[in-house]
Amino acid sequence: MSLQFILDGLINGSMIGLGAIGVTLTYAILRFSNFAHGDLMAWGAYATLALVSGIAALAGAAAPIGALSFGWPMIVAALGGMALTGLLALALDWLLFARLRDRGQAIIIVMASFGASMALRSLLEFLFTSSPVYYSRAIQMAMPVGLGIRVTPDQIALLVVTLALVLGMHLFMTRSQTGREMRAYSQNPALARVVGIDVARIVRATWLIGAALACAAGIMVGILVQIRPLMGLDMLLPMFAAAILGGIGSIPGAVLAGLIIGLSEAATVQLIGAEWRAAVAFAILMAVLFIRPMGLFGVAER
Amino acid sequence: MIDLLSYGAFFLSTALIFGIITLGLNLQWGLTGLFNVGIAGFFAIGAYASAILTTPEVADRIGGFGLPIAVGWLGAMALAGLAAAITGIATLRLKADYLAITTFGVAVVVQLVMLNAEALTGGPFGVAFIPRPFAGVQDQPVLFNALNLMVVAGVTLAIYLALEHLSRSPWGRVLRALREDERAAISLGKSARSYRVQAFAAGGAVMGLAGAVQAHFIGFIAPDNYLPTLTFQVWAMLMVGGSGSNRGAVLGSIVVWAIWVGSGAATAALVPGDWQARAAALQIVAIGVMLCLILLWRPQGFFGPRRGRM
Amino acid sequence: MTRILDVQELVAGYEPGLSIVKGASIHADEGEIVVILGPNGAGKSSLIKAIAGLVPVTGGQVLLDGVPITATPAHLMVRRGLAFVPQTENIFPLLTVQENLAVAGGILPRATVPARIDEMFGMFPDLARQRRLLAGSLSGGQRQMLAVARALIVHPRVLMLDEPSAGLSPKFVEMVFARLGEIRRAGLTIVLVEQNARAALAIGDRAYVLAEGREAHEGPAATLWNDPVIAELYLGHRKAS
Ligand SMILES: Nc1ncnc2c1ncn2[C@@H]1O[C@H](COP(=O)(O)OP(=O)(O)OP(=O)(O)O)[C@@H](O)[C@H]1O
Ligand SMILES: [Mg+2]
Repeated sequence: MSLQFILDGLINGSMIGLGAIGVTLTYAILRFSNFAHGDLMAWGAYATLALVSGIAALAGAAAPIGALSFGWPMIVAALGGMALTGLLALALDWLLFARLRDRGQAIIIVMASFGASMALRSLLEFLFTSSPVYYSRAIQMAMPVGLGIRVTPDQIALLVVTLALVLGMHLFMTRSQTGREMRAYSQNPALARVVGIDVARIVRATWLIGAALACAAGIMVGILVQIRPLMGLDMLLPMFAAAILGGIGSIPGAVLAGLIIGLSEAATVQLIGAEWRAAVAFAILMAVLFIRPMGLFGVAER
Repeated sequence: MIDLLSYGAFFLSTALIFGIITLGLNLQWGLTGLFNVGIAGFFAIGAYASAILTTPEVADRIGGFGLPIAVGWLGAMALAGLAAAITGIATLRLKADYLAITTFGVAVVVQLVMLNAEALTGGPFGVAFIPRPFAGVQDQPVLFNALNLMVVAGVTLAIYLALEHLSRSPWGRVLRALREDERAAISLGKSARSYRVQAFAAGGAVMGLAGAVQAHFIGFIAPDNYLPTLTFQVWAMLMVGGSGSNRGAVLGSIVVWAIWVGSGAATAALVPGDWQARAAALQIVAIGVMLCLILLWRPQGFFGPRRGRM
Repeated sequence: MTRILDVQELVAGYEPGLSIVKGASIHADEGEIVVILGPNGAGKSSLIKAIAGLVPVTGGQVLLDGVPITATPAHLMVRRGLAFVPQTENIFPLLTVQENLAVAGGILPRATVPARIDEMFGMFPDLARQRRLLAGSLSGGQRQMLAVARALIVHPRVLMLDEPSAGLSPKFVEMVFARLGEIRRAGLTIVLVEQNARAALAIGDRAYVLAEGREAHEGPAATLWNDPVIAELYLGHRKAS
């Protein structure tokens, strides 16, 4: 049996984990499961694509960095895409979620996110059609790294980027004042107000961070696989499963669970067949709900 | 004229099948407050269950038991109800979001099974030769469609009356009390959960029945019939009609289906060929936006009882 | 004496049309400990939550140092100098002791926070020893101390506490109240809601008895304790004499 699936699983799991951070933060702080989170991911990927194309049109083609498939425009575009996705999330919150939040029925907000998800996704199909697109047509050579595993330069670079983002997020949540405030707010919103935390600021930070990371995950999928309007929808179940398996509100949990799910999916592809891959997240989700609904690092619901 | 009559019957039958699903959803959401995003999955389970039970034997597929249609319908209700019950048992002791996420997963998995368990479901090509009632008069479209409409309308009416009765019964009153008063629900604890599982399972069974009715109505099913769009459509129907009202559920289904078919026909006629797919996407954008607007501005719907909260 | 907190005819409730606080008037002067007593459900918690901006106010007003602060969003109250320690769930259990203080210090100039946290640890040495533990793992008394330290870290003018002695062993009750006495001597004004009338009146200067959403009696703490009618009606003890 080839061990390649371990690498594939790690890559796949990184993307799930990055997305799941946003899901878990939204759930812990805004208190609803956002069905539109996958679509933020897809919008981020397309926004970045638009920016890359824009830069190419203005500045001409740039040489790739080292052995990677992309050059500096991709990095600039990725940052721009993350900002744009953040703005999209803030706009959605302002138009829709904030208004419903004021009425205080959490499940209605879930339903609204469901409607928004459908509108966002189909809007992408309208704008870009449903056929897949790519950031780069370049074919990368995979290098053997031993044990029969082969890896492309892009994969290495993106694993490093994921690691950096996750570490950065962890430091942000544990060391920065805003991160502490976000954790405090998720534990007890009323007390958070008593100690002087501005809820509106926390809500904004949550959307910006969740959307930026969703965009990063979308870009990774775009670089390593392809960009499609449905890419976010396909990631939604694994992301939810990772957020729940990791324990709602736990960022290390979401990332670890993302890796677990990614690896399980890769193993399933190898052992059973690629067509059953999407069922893995569901099987894990059901197992968690029956055995340990609070997840790996979760705390019992108050 | 004949064409129009025949088409009218066909349109109404389809709309009423949606009406049955929406009635099932109204039991889950309108009466009990349970959020189901996997409607297409439960609908599909019913359709495939009935198809497998009633189709004649085929060489390369399990099933094909050739049983009577009525048995297929019952099987559809039982299997979809069971799937819903398991979903409910797994999630209803947890926060409401977990049910939503799990039902979403159910739809994903059902879609996978339809596509990949070829020995059972026929894979991407689905199941054909599902027995249609009144197949003997198939060559007289008006009569055929009218008879089918009568069957569909009959089922709709039966479900409607049953649900009206249920929602007035002590059982229904408990469900309503549970959804209005979270504290009562908590104090009832285990038995509250069991009421909710029952309601969710019953709603799932109704959706399964709708799936079976539709399968026998068109005689052919494939995974493409059960995409997430269907779930959105049904939600739009319930929200337009007004959640909590069975009458609204049926009316909402007819109205939304008419808008859907009408706008589809308009784009087909007006939009040039290579833009058709995009126009279809825009149609879905419109439903999503409509759902959000209704949630924001008219959460009680248009045909339901005028109530403050939904 | 300067009147620091002045609550006039306050009306407040959780749901529209259903007032729980029904025209309550209380005040606190500089350096005073004002005690609010009353039977269960009298609306004591609701009153101070309304003052703190946590319950919608529909009538009356709250002045702090003569400035109206009625219906100021709750998160701005501590910036105005009004700190509040709720009755229950008054710490963040999954933050460490130090993080609990740091998060509350967010409204202070960034550079001053570490020193201020150390000052709090100087004032509450027990907490200093546990600074890296999750607040949720503290004992009841230590939690209460943390909640008080958290409120004090921002140099408030008025400290409002809701039943700080609830659920504590007598030893800790004594400790908490001793601390409140020290804090007052440092010049802070304290509004104290209590069930434990004996301990509260012992350190209080003035007291109100709240009944059905408004103040029914007011007087110096010492006389209130000795008033037989009030004692029997509201304080649940009978004077032996
Ligand atoms: N969050 C809330 N929503 C609705 N009603 C509430 C809420 N909190 C308290 N009440 C109601 O307000 C009334 C006064 O309660 P409150 O907690 O203010 O009394 P209290 O004097 O603090 O009592 P205790 O001594 O038990 O703490 C009670 O009838 C209670 O049911
Ligand atoms: Mg109280």
